Amino acid sequence: MHATARAALRSVVGPGHFRETDGELVPYSRDATPLFQARPDAVVFPADTAEVGAVLDIATRYAVPVIPRGAGSNLCAATVASRGGIVLVLTRLNRILEIAPAELLARVQPGVTSATLAEAASRDGLLWAPDPGSRTVATVGGTIATNAGGLRGLKYGVTRDYVLGLEAVLPTGEVIRTGGRLHKDVAGYDLTRLLTGSEGTLAVITEATLALRPAPTTTGTGIAYFSDLAAAGRAVTAIIAAGILPATLEFLDRSCIRAVEDFARLGLRTDAGALLLFGDDGESDAVAHALERMSDVCTAHHALDVTTAAEVAQAEALLAARRCALPALSRLGELTILEDATVPRPRIAEMVDRIDAIGARHGVTIATFGHAGDGNLHPTCVVKSQDDTDTVTRAERAFAEIFAAAIDLGGTITGEHGVGAAKLPYLSTQLGADQIDLLRRLKTAFDPAGILNPGKLGS
Amino acid sequence: MTDHPGVPLPKPVFDPDLLSRCISCGFCLPACPTYAETGDEASSPRGRINLMRALQNGDLAPDDPTLKEQSSQCLGCRACEPVCPAGVEYGQLLEQWRDHQWRGRRMPVLARALMLAAGRRVPFRLLGRLRGTPRTTVVETSALASGGASLMLGCFERVLFPRVGRAALALVPGLTVPASQSCCGALHAHNGDTATGERLAHRMGEDLPGTIVTTSGGCAAHLASVLGRARVRELSDHLATGSAYRPLGELRVDGRRARVALQDSCHLRNGLGVRTAPRDLLAEIAHYVELPSAGTCCGAAGTYSLLRPRESRRILTTKIDEVEAAGVDFVAAVNPGCLRQLRTGLRRRRSQVKAVHLAELLLMAGESRFPVA
Ligand SMILES: Cc1cc2nc3c(=O)[nH]c(=O)nc-3n(C[C@H](O)[C@H](O)[C@H](O)COP(=O)(O)OP(=O)(O)OC[C@H]3O[C@@H](n4cnc5c(N)ncnc54)[C@H](O)[C@@H]3O)c2cc1C
Ligand code: SF4
Ligand code: SF4
Repeated sequence: MHATARAALRSVVGPGHFRETDGELVPYSRDATPLFQARPDAVVFPADTAEVGAVLDIATRYAVPVIPRGAGSNLCAATVASRGGIVLVLTRLNRILEIAPAELLARVQPGVTSATLAEAASRDGLLWAPDPGSRTVATVGGTIATNAGGLRGLKYGVTRDYVLGLEAVLPTGEVIRTGGRLHKDVAGYDLTRLLTGSEGTLAVITEATLALRPAPTTTGTGIAYFSDLAAAGRAVTAIIAAGILPATLEFLDRSCIRAVEDFARLGLRTDAGALLLFGDDGESDAVAHALERMSDVCTAHHALDVTTAAEVAQAEALLAARRCALPALSRLGELTILEDATVPRPRIAEMVDRIDAIGARHGVTIATFGHAGDGNLHPTCVVKSQDDTDTVTRAERAFAEIFAAAIDLGGTITGEHGVGAAKLPYLSTQLGADQIDLLRRLKTAFDPAGILNPGKLGS
Repeated sequence: MTDHPGVPLPKPVFDPDLLSRCISCGFCLPACPTYAETGDEASSPRGRINLMRALQNGDLAPDDPTLKEQSSQCLGCRACEPVCPAGVEYGQLLEQWRDHQWRGRRMPVLARALMLAAGRRVPFRLLGRLRGTPRTTVVETSALASGGASLMLGCFERVLFPRVGRAALALVPGLTVPASQSCCGALHAHNGDTATGERLAHRMGEDLPGTIVTTSGGCAAHLASVLGRARVRELSDHLATGSAYRPLGELRVDGRRARVALQDSCHLRNGLGVRTAPRDLLAEIAHYVELPSAGTCCGAAGTYSLLRPRESRRILTTKIDEVEAAGVDFVAAVNPGCLRQLRTGLRRRRSQVKAVHLAELLLMAGESRFPVA
């Protein structure tokens, strides 16, 4: 990068918020995605919308890529500077600007974490529903830009269902405001939704107006153990078919249960083949009724054991433990490769069976957990040694077949983690040439110079 | 983008198994005090581990200034460990990092001076004797065989806070106090000299028969990492679970039950997982008040308060604000470094609150008398 560009960046954000030496850049060379890594040329920490605009302006002038970054917890290499450039860290924009209980909304800057927003909302008796496993670190900006899901998706939907309006800076420098405080507004194309899930490739989000819900009065959680994951999957399908729409239906297979228990020590049954975590919230009678009905369905579907957690604290501990599944699995080996295949809800058990068969055929052990209620599976392959290229290759082959199986069952290659650099090569299989072409034209309309997060979605 | 060919170092700095554990999920970020302070990934556990990897792989020059800065800016508080679902042993990695980074002349001068002093036996013992350290006993080999417990005096504690050791002995009269004991080596291990750290710990293991009881959380964690968890007990842990001791009496101030807060010892809490023992003991003798940041480093962090006084003081200021706001009479410490740090902060603030070691508080309650200091 040109020395004058560096000087310009430094004067925009101030020397204390500009990084450029090798050591300073290393921590910004990767996110939570394994195997992807590239060193940027600079890292900047802007303080406000104006500074974001000024950084984009410099980047356009010197034709340097800009990679927006929140907490860097994404799992699709969306924040890796694969073509170098400037990593634009938005964590200094971390204020909750407003919580308006009368309007059921919040206005926040993008660097606020999901957990912080949820906590603030709960003080006003409100619920910030999007709940990715990474909620304590993930920023609202990153959550919107990846349209993250979470542990409440079945009843509450995903992030896009809660974004009312955005302030965003275009790579060409204009600041736009889409949507707003209205729960109904159909003036113009729905740019709010387009920017939601755009993975930092169309504009930089600098403020968001978000819908909140009244917080439920009661939350209840139960656990059912099964002999294997497919059995748990059949119970999930049956629960939904019975007309129950609970807040949470998460499952873990045997390896995941063991890894999580190793960390959280909650006394989970490690001899079971699968664990289904089910939960609901609302009025206490309704919650109790839902838990009872779900327990019954599980029992009817050959659950080995069903219990419900009476105490809120224990319910929270169970959810917290579930959120740790991925990092806990990494105890088993040096390299943890994770996928995000999603299928229509009635086909979960079938997908689980296919994953098992594919794993067996390629001789790799695949541990699976996921948001069962959303049909969203996270098959994960833990490789003992990073240098074991043979196993890594076999795992990669297995995952290619898992993608194909998901699409074959009417599903998708990514339910919530996004495309980023990691899934880009597979995107055209899913979308087809015409749609890819349209994506590229949209990208060019927003970002004619192609400076915003190149090599990712829309490239 | 620059190309970094990455020539690995001839001899690995880090145990590769420890280093590969981290999957960069970022779950540790909210727990790290230095990340909270700077907001820069480089001063977060995840960022530091990525720096370590770059050092190990040769992606960064060994003399890179960020490596130097971050290996020293880290408090070594290990708050990143219990929150890490992957079980990354950050404390071990940091010791290996400093061992490499601070080798020889690159070691901070102050740290070197302290370690030299601590490694010796005589001056400390003399000083301690003058200020009234508990009388040492001659250990007979039969005591060794009987598997009893002995009290470790702590190289700095016996000089700075001789009353703590005496209080511990009064609480657990059966402890033997062998005369020949020096430093447990924690100081060395945390400051880039793991070999000496281990050697001194082993020597302590030979000098002290049976279970080693210590009033210092930091020493306990270090000794346990070398000698094994079974050999070592921090005092509150020993009192609560390893002995017949029951807290007696009540701490009273102005005719009412005293209000007492606790500052956790980072290594005791994060390294050994001892959290409830000191709280339970305090709750028996006083009205226990949990500080919002009881589990977060006070900025003493071994030699940190000496090596990085500005940052240490900033952390301490927030802590003292909290102690003042909590409306307590005492804040208890379970580690001499924390005790010293808290006293410094409270004195500077001219606070009415007193920082006292847990052992002394328990003894005061039992004897129903109050400190003069
Ligand atoms: C253990 C673990 C569990 C997870 N669980 C879930 C889960 O349950 N559900 C789920 O959906 N995801 C999950 N994730 C993935 C990830 O944490 C989420 O997608 C999260 O919302 C990303 O937020 P972030 O702040 O880390 O974003 P980053 O990783 O920093 O960025 C993600 C993307 O957003 C863009 N971006 C960030 N901020 C902005 C901005 N202000 N403007 C424009 N673009 C921006 C970036 O360029 C990038 O493309 C998990 C990850 C981990 C490690
Ligand atoms: S140290 Fe643990 S918590 Fe932190 S990023 Fe690594 S794996 Fe995650
Ligand atoms: S030891 Fe403490 S300061 Fe160092 S990285 Fe871990 S949490 Fe942060």
